Amino acid sequence: MTDKKLVELCQETLESTQQHGANEAEVYGESVRTITVMIEKSDLQISRAQQETTIGVRALVGKRIGFSSTNDLSALDETSRDAVILSKASPADEKNILPTVADIRYVDGIYDPKAESFTIEQAIEYAVQILDLARGIDRRLILGDGMFSVEISERALVNSHGDISHGDVSHGSVLHEKGSLFNYFALATARDGDKVSNMDYQFDASHTVAGIDIEPITRRTCENALGSLGAEKGESFNGTVLLSPNAVQGILAGLILFQTNAKNVLRGMSRWGTQIGEPVAAPILSIVDDGRLPAGLATASFDREGVAHRRFDLIQEGSLIALMHNSYSANAMGKESTGHASGSARSIPGIGPTNFEILAGEATKDELIGDIKQGLLLTRFSGRADPISGDFSGVAKGAYLIKNGKLDRPVTGTLVSGNAFQALKDLSGVSQKRERVFNFTLPYLRLEKISVTAG
Amino acid sequence: MLELLRDIVRGATGWVELRYQARRTKTIAVRNGRLEESSTIRLTGVGVRALVDGVFGFASTTDLSERGIQGAMMQAQNAARVSSSSKREKIKGLADAAFATGTFPVMTDDPLDDHPLEEKLALVLRIDERIRQGAKKIVSSSASYSEIQDEKIIVTSDGAAAHLFDAKPEFRALAVAQIDGDQAMGMDSVGVTGGFADLFIRRTPEQMADKAVKLAVDLLQAPYPAGEKTTVVLNPGLVGVLSHEAIGHTVEADLVRSGAITSDKIGVKVASNLVTLCDSGPSQYQPHAAGELLVDDEGVKTEKTVIIDHGVLRSYLHNRESAAYFGVKPTGNARAFEYSDEPLIRMRNTYIEPGTASMEEMIAGVKSGYFLEGLGGGGQADSNAEFMFGVREAHRIENGKVGELVRGITISGNAFDVLKSVDAVGSDFTWDLGAGRCGKGQWAKVDAGGPHLRCVVTIGGKQE
Repeated sequence: MTDKKLVELCQETLESTQQHGANEAEVYGESVRTITVMIEKSDLQISRAQQETTIGVRALVGKRIGFSSTNDLSALDETSRDAVILSKASPADEKNILPTVADIRYVDGIYDPKAESFTIEQAIEYAVQILDLARGIDRRLILGDGMFSVEISERALVNSHGDISHGDVSHGSVLHEKGSLFNYFALATARDGDKVSNMDYQFDASHTVAGIDIEPITRRTCENALGSLGAEKGESFNGTVLLSPNAVQGILAGLILFQTNAKNVLRGMSRWGTQIGEPVAAPILSIVDDGRLPAGLATASFDREGVAHRRFDLIQEGSLIALMHNSYSANAMGKESTGHASGSARSIPGIGPTNFEILAGEATKDELIGDIKQGLLLTRFSGRADPISGDFSGVAKGAYLIKNGKLDRPVTGTLVSGNAFQALKDLSGVSQKRERVFNFTLPYLRLEKISVTAG
Repeated sequence: MLELLRDIVRGATGWVELRYQARRTKTIAVRNGRLEESSTIRLTGVGVRALVDGVFGFASTTDLSERGIQGAMMQAQNAARVSSSSKREKIKGLADAAFATGTFPVMTDDPLDDHPLEEKLALVLRIDERIRQGAKKIVSSSASYSEIQDEKIIVTSDGAAAHLFDAKPEFRALAVAQIDGDQAMGMDSVGVTGGFADLFIRRTPEQMADKAVKLAVDLLQAPYPAGEKTTVVLNPGLVGVLSHEAIGHTVEADLVRSGAITSDKIGVKVASNLVTLCDSGPSQYQPHAAGELLVDDEGVKTEKTVIIDHGVLRSYLHNRESAAYFGVKPTGNARAFEYSDEPLIRMRNTYIEPGTASMEEMIAGVKSGYFLEGLGGGGQADSNAEFMFGVREAHRIENGKVGELVRGITISGNAFDVLKSVDAVGSDFTWDLGAGRCGKGQWAKVDAGGPHLRCVVTIGGKQE
């Protein structure tokens, strides 16, 4: 381990990449220190302390590109040489480009200096709180898995596209930002004699010590596991299905992200590529992606290529507004990058969301259930959702039969299937209340004409 | 490095395990004629696990000096010590095992490094092109090659001292066909442990490309089936998925102790007499299984573990901690993906033993059902053995004959109910789950397979 600062390592690596023959280059560095306390079988399992610095190098020789990365800081010169060798062996692509980075505005609230002195002992205390809370709720509960962790990170980016000295995040000619994140999740199963419930898991996170709150996720996962205990065979019908935020993520979010990803448009795999400005969902659906969302888990000032994050409309009242771009896809399609270059220092920049939000609707969850004659409530979806065809099919976990506007009974082994493109158009309800599922903030959504098959 | 780790372990108090890992990976991915990725990653570091006062602590470092590794060891010991008062059920000890010592090379006649980057790049470009030219309806093509090469040294304070080399390449071909805005995808993939030639022993990259093209085009015209519970013949890939995803995870001893459905079922009949299900470190029946592991990450020599013997549940999958808890021998299932991961109970190569039936006989005996081949995106299962898998390729069987292709099929059920319904097991054997990775908080390269097999599952389809 060297005592050199991350920004210096990046700058030196940029220079050596150019010396090895790259005429353009980008170096992205990440330094992460983590303390993790793992929970297993309702007990502490293991505590971990980890630290790693990773440097990723993109080298361009002409319009040829290569990428190499390492966590071995004594091998940075070899790594930049490897990137140049890969680049020279590659076919040229006229659309390859590195962005010019400018005017980054600093985003607040993603780094808590108190995280620096956060100890293993403190992390253990929070893990014990999760365990104690679950134990107090019901003796039949088992926390099969759980975690409390703190991650203190630093990232730096430098590229050969001139001087990146604008704005207040930069140090000389590099972009540089610190972050802290406390992650916690709990996975519960309930067991009563021979009856085993479906497992349920819930996750949340906070950038600050003050924002840590393990209670809601622990309660929710315990209640969901208990609720599915004693579930029996359901009914087969074609009709209304109410998705929890977790199930919305499992069935619909992947399709929306895939279809709005410009890389998939270039690949010829997204049918939405030619439907910008057109309706792709019912008018009650609006979606934004906001890389600067206050307290958002994915909030950061700049993306994997150094392009500024911003608030971005994906779908407005059912109409597709725009696609997510990194600088390659933007260049290939004659657009501007939208700041959606994603990935770590270990990988070439891809395209991905930041903080993805389906905007809240007007109905309460009870109102959404209230006018369903026969339907199904899904807490979690375990199955397959094909983002190209839109076909989804899987097991409804933590599912309840809905009869005459009320939750009737928990059911197990029930399959749901349909087509997500059609389901978005037939969407009949969006709840006011939303939950955070990783970096997604999602409401309950009510779908129509879904096939439900009792197992 | 082996000597340095030995010296550090000799000076340590209490039980410690040091694991050095140097990993090199290469990825080449081409899509629609465009090189999307040509990359290498080098990762090097040491992971340290310590057992203090009945609790494990773990730390990892990239500082390979004596001071750096000792610092990590102290961090691991401290992490364990401060956890101890909050741990309810202390670890009473670790089971003794046949520890590995010595060097374990990659078993191949054709090492990956004998094949230059240019050759691998040319292969990927050629196969991508072949897919794109494969049919008029193909609108998107992709081919990719990746490899992981590892050097590991595992030293424990109670006797393991092994120096291991591993190489796991994989190759994928993917085609997307389109007509009138409707799209369908076809793919084929393969992954092995071994060298470059070993990767293509079952089928050539050209055969994989052609298979992906044909499937994508055929699926476009295929109808959707109705949902029903019916008889199916599963190919080795799906037998592997069932063995790994739906059964295998429920017999991982850590999940057993967390309340999996198998938790009081040792000695109990859980499947048809025809079913013998195993998880093996060494490859069985066919060489180069992708999950091949001769020594696990606790330094324990691996072997074949019989999980279900002629229908009766016989064993869980163990690490040293769970083996001590259950009073059995460790099965060599402790695995860590990277130096910064602690070993967890993971599968290796999971399969059902071949039987005596031929595939033709099995199909001929089905009046109405399906012939199902390959995992089609996403396989999931719960600790109560409820599972759901997408199927890549499904043909109807009517009156003992394989008929039309249908699309969008998923199968589901309770895995043990499915195994009880098995009424014929084929005499063939193939590993068929070697591409990709299994996730359990960290990755693992695994494989799974078996013979063709006939059973009853629930088909997810349209409900009118």
